Amino acid sequence: MKARPITTVKTVVAGIEEAGDGIKLFVLVDPDRWELPPFKPGAHIDLHLPNGLVRTYSLCNEPADSARYVIAVKREAEGRGGSRALHDDVRIGDVVGVSLPRGGLAPDARIARYVLVAGGIGVTPFLSMARHLERTGGAEFTLHLIVREEVPLSAHLGALIEAGRVVVHRTSRTGRPDLAALVGTGGAETLVACCGPEGMTDDFERVTAAWPTANVHIERFVAPPPVIDPDAKPFTLSLARTGTEIQVRAGQTMLAALQEGGIDIATSCCGGICGACKVGWIEGKPVHRDRILSPYERERYLMVCVAGSETERLVLDL
Amino acid sequence: MLDTIGAGPAHNAVQLAWTGVVRFLHLTPRAFLPMRAAETITLVAGRGIEGDRYMIGNEEGFYSHKPEEGRQVTLFELETLVALKRDAGIELGPEEHRRNVTVEGVPLNHLVGRRFWLGETLLEATRLSIPCRHIEEITGKAIFDPLINRSGLNCKILRGGIVKVGDAVRNAA
Repeated sequence: MKARPITTVKTVVAGIEEAGDGIKLFVLVDPDRWELPPFKPGAHIDLHLPNGLVRTYSLCNEPADSARYVIAVKREAEGRGGSRALHDDVRIGDVVGVSLPRGGLAPDARIARYVLVAGGIGVTPFLSMARHLERTGGAEFTLHLIVREEVPLSAHLGALIEAGRVVVHRTSRTGRPDLAALVGTGGAETLVACCGPEGMTDDFERVTAAWPTANVHIERFVAPPPVIDPDAKPFTLSLARTGTEIQVRAGQTMLAALQEGGIDIATSCCGGICGACKVGWIEGKPVHRDRILSPYERERYLMVCVAGSETERLVLDL
Repeated sequence: MLDTIGAGPAHNAVQLAWTGVVRFLHLTPRAFLPMRAAETITLVAGRGIEGDRYMIGNEEGFYSHKPEEGRQVTLFELETLVALKRDAGIELGPEEHRRNVTVEGVPLNHLVGRRFWLGETLLEATRLSIPCRHIEEITGKAIFDPLINRSGLNCKILRGGIVKVGDAVRNAA
């Protein structure tokens, strides 16, 4: 069998902890306990679950804790299936592929005060941030935790609550707090961050709309659609030898679309200089972005890792 | 005409003019994981570095699905790290370029097709390394373009042994 490329970080489940209120903590480590790829406080990773689902979860541990990824997952019976798969099917010792960590807060020496606003299980990225801020010192921070009644991960928040860092707002008793009052007037030295259900993050976005973007950070449960170059257009690849048609989404690379379609393409640099993914084209008008093909070669070949299409349909010799 | 560099007194003088030194050693057991610094590494002739992702028979690297006999050990010039900072303002550490051996004073780009000593081990350079988008993904730094033509050297291990930081790097005539 031909070896497949390694596309995820290989981890094993080293621990599963019942954290109450339908939440489980999963501890992922390298099989040899090697350090894992580094992350920023509040970053998130994609888990490639055994059932084929790919789901994103915030890391709750802090960056200095570099040999583990800890995620907290609330079982959502009516959710899209990721949390059920993790709760019901994943066991200690299972191998789980994960993505490189993304997002989180970049360190910024100008920030002297952090106001963190979490809704329910949205507290997870702030566990990481709060632990990081507490350990590194220097900046003030307050975590406003908005819950209906129960405090999620209370055992893990205990030290922060005792240190007076957490203000719990129980909506069952006091109603929804006024987000504008929580974040205050801000200023260049204040950073406000929010993670929670969509309604809350939308409200938060409205409240902070006039703030400089560098001072506002929002983590969403469901990733917003990626920002696509407004000039990018979708197109169709027609594969002459197999008769297959492959749709390339606006902003997607030809290579990614071909790979999604199960077409095996040799690649290496993925930046248009090594020539590994050179493919012949027959009809249409490619946009060449490689740096190695001569004008003569460009009339016959393109590099699928970087090339685009001026025409709605491009016929490849594949 | 310029397929090979001819022998002769001038050529021999150039060949003998450099002696380098091993400054840093790094390895990692699997794709994506951080490189870990080592004081010594063990090279196995014809296979790779003990504990590294590209050891032949181990196949845990990002490019392991593309087998390559000439990728048993990879080298990188310390001078390139200095140049990146000087010319492009990019701080890149020896643990970030993801090659195994960072050398100083070794003209890597001149060694393709040649044999040289890395400490007590004998290597044969097979090809120049090519920068890749993968390294930008891992480091989060825009280093693809600045690394073109100075992204290091891939080598086969002809004679194995232990390589230490501080070892000499010499031409094998």
